[in-house]
Amino acid sequence: MRAAFALLAAVALAFLALPVVAIFLRVSPATLVHELGDPVARDALVISLKTSVLAQALVICFGTPTAYLLATHRFAGRSVLVTLVELPLVLPPAVAGIGLLAAFGRAGLLQTSFAFTQTAVVLAVAFVAAPFYVRTAIAAFESVDPTLVAAARTLGAGRWRVFARIALPLAAGGLGAGLALAFARGLGEFGATIMFAGSLQRVTQTLPLAIYAEFEQSFNVALAIGALLVAFSFTLLLAVKWLRSDLISGSRFAPSTST
Amino acid sequence: MAALRLDLRVALRTFDLDVELTAGAETVAIAGPSGAGKSTLLRAIAGLVPADGVVEVHGRDWSSLPPEQRPVGFVFQDYALFPHLTVRGNVAFGGPPGDLLDRLGIAHLADAKPRELSGGERQRVAIARALARDPEVLLFDEPLAALDPHTKDTVRVDLRARLRELGLPALVVTHDFVDAAALADRVGVLVDGRLVQIGRPEELIASPVSPFVAHFAGGNVLHGRARRSNGLTEVELADRTVVFSTDEAEGEVAAIVYPWELTLARTVPVDSAQNHVQAGVTGVVTVGNRVRVTLGPVTAEVTAESASRLHVREGDVLVATWKATATRLVTL
Amino acid sequence: MKLLAIFAAASLTGVFPQIDKAPRYQFAGSDQLAFQILQGAPADVFAAAAPKYPQELYARGKCWKPVVFATNTVVLIVPRANPAHIRSVYDLRRPGIKLVVGAPGVPIGDYTRKLLAKLKLSSVLGNIVSNESDVKFVVAKVALGEADAGFAYKTDVKAVGSSVRRIALPAAGQPTVQYELCIVRATKHLQAARAYVREVLSPRGREKLKAAGFGLP
Repeated sequence: MRAAFALLAAVALAFLALPVVAIFLRVSPATLVHELGDPVARDALVISLKTSVLAQALVICFGTPTAYLLATHRFAGRSVLVTLVELPLVLPPAVAGIGLLAAFGRAGLLQTSFAFTQTAVVLAVAFVAAPFYVRTAIAAFESVDPTLVAAARTLGAGRWRVFARIALPLAAGGLGAGLALAFARGLGEFGATIMFAGSLQRVTQTLPLAIYAEFEQSFNVALAIGALLVAFSFTLLLAVKWLRSDLISGSRFAPSTST
Repeated sequence: MAALRLDLRVALRTFDLDVELTAGAETVAIAGPSGAGKSTLLRAIAGLVPADGVVEVHGRDWSSLPPEQRPVGFVFQDYALFPHLTVRGNVAFGGPPGDLLDRLGIAHLADAKPRELSGGERQRVAIARALARDPEVLLFDEPLAALDPHTKDTVRVDLRARLRELGLPALVVTHDFVDAAALADRVGVLVDGRLVQIGRPEELIASPVSPFVAHFAGGNVLHGRARRSNGLTEVELADRTVVFSTDEAEGEVAAIVYPWELTLARTVPVDSAQNHVQAGVTGVVTVGNRVRVTLGPVTAEVTAESASRLHVREGDVLVATWKATATRLVTL
Repeated sequence: MKLLAIFAAASLTGVFPQIDKAPRYQFAGSDQLAFQILQGAPADVFAAAAPKYPQELYARGKCWKPVVFATNTVVLIVPRANPAHIRSVYDLRRPGIKLVVGAPGVPIGDYTRKLLAKLKLSSVLGNIVSNESDVKFVVAKVALGEADAGFAYKTDVKAVGSSVRRIALPAAGQPTVQYELCIVRATKHLQAARAYVREVLSPRGREKLKAAGFGLP
C-alpha cells in the first residue's frame, strides 16, 4: 500500500510542479531578464507593486481591528459576519468584478468614478485578498492565551494596552503569514480587476493583465512576466510557511522543558 | 476595618459560588477539591468574571471597577509570563520595578526571556510583576502546582517567608492541604462553591465539621525544630515534646502525622513505635462512624467502636502512639 | 457521433448556434483562439473576425485554405443615457471621455485603430481607459454605463438591444472587416467539418448571418 500511496503522491507533485518548471524551461534566464526590460513588463511591475502595497495597507488597516473584534468577542450573528468576511474566497473573481461594478460603478449603487482607475485596481485587489488576511488574523488572535490577557488586565492594562502590547506582538507571526497570503493572492488577481478596472498599460495593467495582453503579441514577454509572478508567489509562500510554523508551534516563545 | 471583605455570588454551571469572608493583613488559604470554584473566587475578586455582591478593600468598594482599575497582585497557576518580553519587561508591565528584581533575587535574569527560566525563577518573576503593580491584595492560584516535588519544597519555604514579609492580605488557592497549612495563617475549605469551614489549620484537623473536611485536611501539622540524631530526625515541638521521624530534615519543620495512623491506649505500650504522646484529652468529636480525639498537640482518629471500648472522655489521660516512619517532615 | 469543436470569434456567439446547434462552441477573441490552435487545442473549424489569424494558421500549415463567409461593420456605441453627450465620432476628442476599445492584436482592437487612423483621429486613442481582450467586454462596459463610448461590431449591438445607442460613423473611416473560416488540418472529423462549413456558406446560413446583422460576401 505504501508503494501505491507514494506513486500517487509522486504523480500529484509532478502535476503541480510541471507547469511551473515548464515556464522556466521554455525560455532561458538570460532571455527572461531581457524580456522583463520590455516597457510592458516594466510598467506592469510598477502598477502591480504600487496597487498591491496600497491594497494591502487598506487590508491591514481595516482588517486587523475587524479580526481582533471577531476573535475576542462572541455574539449572536458572529458566524454570519465571519462568513461574510470569507465570502470573497469562494466568489469567482468575475463575480467579484461584477459586484464591484454594481456597487462602485458610475451606474452602480454608490455612483463613484473609480472604474478604469488605479483606485479600482486597489479596490479589486483589496476585495479578493482581504479574506486571506482576516481569516488568518482571526486565528492568530484567537491563539493568544487568554490567561495572558487576563494577567495583563490584572496588571492595569486597559483594552487598548492589551491589544497593542500583548495581543498584537503575540499574534504578529500569524498576521505576517496572513499578509503574505493576501499579498500573493492580490498579485495574481485578474478577473475582478479586468472587470472593474479594465486594462490599460501604465494605468491599470497589472502583471497578470499584462500576461493576457501580451501572450499573442510577444509570447516571450508573457513568459517572462509569468516567471516573475511564479518567483514572487514562491517567495511569499515560503514566508508564509516560515511565519506560520512560528504561530502553530509557538516555537519563538515556547517555554523550555526544564522546570 | 478589615483589609478585605468579600460577600460574593457567582453563578457557575452546576452550582453557585457563594462566599463571605473577611481578612486582615494575613494569608488565607482557600483549599478544596478541583471544580469547587476556588479559581473563580480569585477571578471574581480581580474582576475577571462578573459577580454579584461586594468586594471591599480597605473600605473601598471595588465592585464597579474593571479589572485594570483594581490594584490586585494576581499570580496565575502557570505564572502567565509574557513570552515576548524579558524578565525586566514583564515586571515593568505592572509598574516601575524599583528594587523588586533585587528583592526577589532575579536581578541577574533581567534580560532573560521566560522560556529560559526554571519554574522557581518564573514564580519569582510573576510575584515581582504582581508587586510592581503596588497591589492592595495578593491572589495566588495554585502557586506550587506547576513545580516538581523537589523545587516545591524550596519554593514553599521562600513563598511563606515572602508572604509574611509583605504583610498584605493574601488569598492562596490550593488543592493541597499541607501546602495550605504551611503557607497560610488560616485555611478555608471550599466545597461546591461554599466555605464549609475556615480557621487555623490545627482547628480544621481537630474539629472538622464534616467527614469531607476531615479527609481533606489530612494530617496533623506539628511545628518544631529538627536535628539529626542516631540515624533519625528528632523534632522538638513548642511544648518540648520530641517526635521522631525517619525523614531527613534540619531546622524549622512541620511534622505531618495522619490521624488514622495514631493508636490510642490507656498506658504507654511497649512496642516498636517511637512516638508517644501522653496527655489529657481536650476534644472528642464524632465524625460519621469515626471519632477524632485531640490530646496534647495531636489529633487521633479511631473507630467509634474503639473509642467506646476505651471509654474515651474529655479530661482522661491517654497515650497516642505512632511510628517514626509515619512522621513526614516538611521543611519550613 | 462525436461533437465537432468550433472555435469562433466572440461576435459569432449569437449566430453560429442558430445555424447549427449541435457542435461544441468555444467563443473568444480570435487571437486567443489562434494561439490555442497553434498550441494544439483540438479544434475542428476555426472562424475568425479578421483574415489575419486563419491566414497565419494556413501559412503555418495548420489549416486548410480559409474562406470569407461574412463581413461586419465597426460601430461607435454609447450607453443609452449617453452621459457624455456624444453626437459624433469627433466628440471623442474631448478630454476626459472614457473610451473602451479592443486591445491591439484582438481583431476589433485592430479594426478600431485602423478606423481612427483613416479618419485622422488617432489622438482619440489618448482617451482609452481600457483595452479589452474580448469585444463582449467592450459592449458590456458601455451597456452598463461605466464607459462613455466604445467601438464594437454592428452585430454586437443587435445582441444588447436598447441598452446602447449607435452613433453614425463616416463611411470613409470604415475598415474592411472580413470574417474568414478554415478547417483545422488536425481534425479527426473532416467529413463533419466540411458539412459544417457548407452549412455556414449555404443560403440558410447566409440568411441567419444577415438577420444577425452581418454583411455577406
